Amino acid sequence: MELYLPIAEMSVNVWLMAGLGVGVGFLSGLFGVGGGFLMAPVLVTLGIPPSIAVASQAGHVLATSTSSVSSYRRQDSVDFRMGLMMAAGGVVGAGMGVEIFRILRLMGQIDLMISVIYLVFLCGIGGLMARESLTSLLRRKKGLPPVRPKLKRPPWLYALPFKMRFPRSGLYISVIPPLFIGFIVGILAALMGVGGGFLIVPAMIYILRMKASVVVGTSLFQVIITATVTMILQAVRNHTVDAVLAFLLLIGGVIGGQLGIRFGTRFRADELRLVLALIILTAGLQMGLTLFIPPEDPFVLIRPGG
Amino acid sequence: MIDFDPIVTNQLATDLTQSRVEVSSSFQGAKVILYGATLQPDGPPPDVIVVVRGPETDLRLMRKVRKAGLWLNSRPMIFEGAPGFYMAASSRPLSEISRNEMRYHLGLGLDYMPMDIAAETAHQTDYADWRRAVVRLQQKNGLYSDNASGVRFIDRHLFRAEVELPSDAPIGTYTAEVWLFRNGLPVNYSVKPLTVEKVGFERFVYDFAHRHAWIYGLICVLMSMGMGLIASRLFRRR
Repeated sequence: MELYLPIAEMSVNVWLMAGLGVGVGFLSGLFGVGGGFLMAPVLVTLGIPPSIAVASQAGHVLATSTSSVSSYRRQDSVDFRMGLMMAAGGVVGAGMGVEIFRILRLMGQIDLMISVIYLVFLCGIGGLMARESLTSLLRRKKGLPPVRPKLKRPPWLYALPFKMRFPRSGLYISVIPPLFIGFIVGILAALMGVGGGFLIVPAMIYILRMKASVVVGTSLFQVIITATVTMILQAVRNHTVDAVLAFLLLIGGVIGGQLGIRFGTRFRADELRLVLALIILTAGLQMGLTLFIPPEDPFVLIRPGG
Repeated sequence: MIDFDPIVTNQLATDLTQSRVEVSSSFQGAKVILYGATLQPDGPPPDVIVVVRGPETDLRLMRKVRKAGLWLNSRPMIFEGAPGFYMAASSRPLSEISRNEMRYHLGLGLDYMPMDIAAETAHQTDYADWRRAVVRLQQKNGLYSDNASGVRFIDRHLFRAEVELPSDAPIGTYTAEVWLFRNGLPVNYSVKPLTVEKVGFERFVYDFAHRHAWIYGLICVLMSMGMGLIASRLFRRR
């Protein structure tokens, strides 16, 4: 069944879009990431202008993360205070990111920057996560006790001023690191056109060393705030939010998201992290390879709205 | 723009089966048929060229270039006032109907379709390559076409041409030009407007998104959050 999109001004297959929503929603429920870094490239491949894809998928991200957060909240595994701190940094960072985006575009270097950022961050984070989760997985298989070499958090976390209690995360640290992480993620998220969940999750695990049970819920809570800001700003400034496209994606997304949460309880955390790591690595390599492989067609046409 | 010689002027009447194409939720492209009648005093039927132009848009074209081992996009070349849709149909190949200079002068056919580049990118020396690339990529999208047998005579006086609008055809006002040629020279000309516009829900959403952008954005956010909450409720009950 085909449906015409009023803002994108083209028709799409309803089942294909809902199916894409289910798939990405499943992954986001499972891993606590918004899934923007996976969905946007697929939408663009299907012919949706990039700016409309990024703005409209915010609806999907918003719906799946709202649905997931409300489930995680019942299990008491969302640290709202931590999420708000990161989001506060994130909103400032996103504003900065949009400005950097504009400057780079004027310099004509935006595509190079985006490719390089995707390559570096997706491959870097994917690689680190894959190594860490593989090590812990292998050790478990061999019957060795899990490694906990760095149980002690880095001392600078405690040395900074403005300390605050984050009881849910089991932390009593300065607010500067969460704000700063949120800020950096906000900049990158604005440049890459994604919510930043895949950057927040590793930062929470490996830098802040939050209690593992609250990481996914808190990350998704932060994603809700970022996606809300993105969606409203895009609607107001660029008129690029297609409500019909957003609706199709999110219908599939909420179902997939809930399935993902159920499915997630059947697996161990290190197994899940390994799979997420591999997905991130693949997406990063895919993006990065376009820099090295001779293009099939040397010309790229961008139609208005693209 | 052209002074027709009154002695050889052939009469021409044209019309479209639809002068207005409505784009609703189920729109998947449309086919509009152009009919034309010509009354020539004697001799064989004239040559006919039908050109359908969509509303003008800005197209940006980038070329991948290899720099330090990496394939990067060059600075974009901006084509201003390129038609969002262009179809040239004729009763026989354009090059047999008239000379290149004439078609260039009249802007007939994909090769001579008017399409300006922005002043800031006009320094490019390989302009022709870029222009060909735009035409080729738009042809691939089904938005530009060139059909040397697209105009068919039903009898000696009546001809028809089909206009295929793809589902992503731009919204706006199109023009359907019909040119009659005899011995390589234009002898008559007619133009008919064709409107492609959104109706019903599609139009409502588009207008709302532009007129009340804040409210529209807010509604999208609330819809998304609401659907998320409903889904998590439904799943909990099971």
